[in-house]
Amino acid sequence: MTAPAVLLEGVTKRFSGHVAVRDLSLEVPVGGIFGLLGPNGAGKSTTIRMIMEIYLADEGRIELFGTPHGARTLSDRLGYLPEERGLYKKMKVVDQLVFLGETKGIAHGEARKRANEWLDRLGLGEWKQKKIEDLSKGMQQKAQFAGTLLHDPDLVILDEPFSGLDPVNSQVMKDVVVELARRGKTVLFSTHIMEQAERMCDRIVIIARGRKIVDGAVGDIKREAGGKHVALTFSHDKDRAARVLADRAIVAKLDDYGASAEVELADGAQEEALLAAPGREGVGLTRLEVVEPSLQSIFIAKVGADAATAARSEEVAA
Amino acid sequence: MKKVWAIVRRELVERVRTKAFLIGTFLLPVFIVGMMVVPTLLMSGTARTKRIAIVDGTSQRIGAQVQAGLGAQTFSRDGEELPRYDIAVVGAAGRVEAVRDSLVALTGFARDEMPTGLDGVLVLTDATVDAGDATYLGGDAGSLEGVGELRRALSSVLMQTRLSNAGVDPAIVGRALMPADLETRKVTDGRLTGESGGASFALAYAMGILLYFGIFFYGQQTATSVIEEKNSRIMEVLASSLTPFEMLLGKIVGVGLTGLLQLGIWGGVLYLALSRRAELAGLFGADPNAVASLALPSFPPDLLVIFLLYFVLGFLIYGALFAAVGSMVNTVQEMQQFLFPVMMLIIFAFFGMFAVLNDPTAGLGVTFSFIPFFAPIVMPVRWSMASVPIGELALSLTGMVVGVLAVAWFAGRIYRTGILMYGKKPTVREVLRWIKAG
Repeated sequence: MTAPAVLLEGVTKRFSGHVAVRDLSLEVPVGGIFGLLGPNGAGKSTTIRMIMEIYLADEGRIELFGTPHGARTLSDRLGYLPEERGLYKKMKVVDQLVFLGETKGIAHGEARKRANEWLDRLGLGEWKQKKIEDLSKGMQQKAQFAGTLLHDPDLVILDEPFSGLDPVNSQVMKDVVVELARRGKTVLFSTHIMEQAERMCDRIVIIARGRKIVDGAVGDIKREAGGKHVALTFSHDKDRAARVLADRAIVAKLDDYGASAEVELADGAQEEALLAAPGREGVGLTRLEVVEPSLQSIFIAKVGADAATAARSEEVAA
Repeated sequence: MKKVWAIVRRELVERVRTKAFLIGTFLLPVFIVGMMVVPTLLMSGTARTKRIAIVDGTSQRIGAQVQAGLGAQTFSRDGEELPRYDIAVVGAAGRVEAVRDSLVALTGFARDEMPTGLDGVLVLTDATVDAGDATYLGGDAGSLEGVGELRRALSSVLMQTRLSNAGVDPAIVGRALMPADLETRKVTDGRLTGESGGASFALAYAMGILLYFGIFFYGQQTATSVIEEKNSRIMEVLASSLTPFEMLLGKIVGVGLTGLLQLGIWGGVLYLALSRRAELAGLFGADPNAVASLALPSFPPDLLVIFLLYFVLGFLIYGALFAAVGSMVNTVQEMQQFLFPVMMLIIFAFFGMFAVLNDPTAGLGVTFSFIPFFAPIVMPVRWSMASVPIGELALSLTGMVVGVLAVAWFAGRIYRTGILMYGKKPTVREVLRWIKAG
């Protein structure tokens, strides 16, 4: 059995006064796309920085490709896009990428060749000789993304890679990530955008308050989430729809978007009950579909519950 | 090592490409030369013989003596010696004020087409001989140099007059007051060099200033560059590829090489300018032979080696300190406070240089040349001023190397934690904890 790309065992990281990551264990298999999900402040970036050896863990063990951490021996096989992006503002785009390649051990000439290829591919060809500060934020982010991949790393770690990107650029980056996974590379990215993770990831871990809440393949997680989920779309009279959905005999959980909703049916209730519910006339139901629970609803359910438990235990402690 | 080299090269290339570097490298020497040449050109162009009338109201008629004294003064223009003053003496015993006022009416009109015009009127009375009181009325009465010249000439004539009045031969007094003319020549390793003591002092002084400003200026650049990297958040990307120590090393060496390059350009230009000084002097209209025969301090190769060695070691030690300071703070403003202790060290070293200039063979200067923080400035100055035993040089250099390693160790530990700290600046206690942390 091949060693996992990333292995964390009982990892804890404390900062003055609080615990950022608590007894976290996870395993990222080689190949594929792995999502690290969690609300803001959950400890995602801290976890990633520990994997990158920027922070040292206070407790626990971290291995990359079966090699224990130490002295950045594997740094040339890793590509890292930090959450806080940053490049040298006064440097030319292409020089910047060459420099990043060189810090990963690529020779100068080869780094220049690859930098040109990447910039062309990401639509930054005309901007190669411009200074970083002349680029828009989105373009800077793409340039840094190229810098992350210039040395063709085996493990790519992206901290919130899609934040701040417009749909077009988001699409460009997503395509690159998917292609990396096809070529057998391992991609680990953190996000709090569930739709993105749902569509891209093979496996996910959800952490909240520094603790792991959910871990597994996306399909398994959805199956285990249980309950019968129905997606609805209404064309008019949203007030009346809201009244129908408020019926606790039919609906156990509700994720209401106004014009559409995802509901988890109450035990024993059938989707037909929604159609037969009193007052349903006039809501203009245009879609009713039995679906797998969305990652979003699982996330809200699990993280919300955890937050509630934590709050209660703090109350008891106080 | 290859990665460190990438950092070094980036620092060097990006720095050399900036406008600040170009301006500093090429305009600073032009500026300094301009400061020296322009005033000379300005003055040589305007100097001319001044026409002065002496209103002699003294009963001893000393006007003629003053005329002789001032008349002996000359200045040179276009290689030609010209008298500084053109003097007319007007006897005016008893009617000084009337004569004076009539001459003042002509003052300020000394032009070629007005042969009666004057630059100024010097009024002498008996009080001049007794108490030294004299009056000068002229358009150039505000000129420090012109009036000073006049005062010196007048004082000398007054002294001779008073001596004669007292029955003393001024020539005897003149001989008695003749000062000693001490010629100084420097001896190095038992050999007489062609250098005069003054030239040796000037060279040591110039070198000390260069070391002081070089280390200070480039050290500060190291600190601001670390702050920039923190602010642009590139630090985190670098920290994932290199160890903090490699980053620190690359940065200091890169900035230091930029400094050496700039010094090298200046040194090269200076060397060229001096070796072709006769031709250059010709361009500026000066006498090539006079310039060629100027005694220049020799810059022996051993001094060059010592200078470079101490510049490099000194830059490593201070660069590491400056980088550590930069890593602790978030803005250049915050940096000033933490910079204070580092600046104190450099300023002490600078004072140590004066101790050496005063006495290069003993005392505080010698002690300072063994202390790693002071030696980079003090030792090269000492080496150029006096012969230093090789054992003492070895001791000083060993101290420097140990000092560099120790400071790099401390700075590396502060740097490691500091570069990823944003927000409030740390307390001294926190910094000590960073150093202690495994």
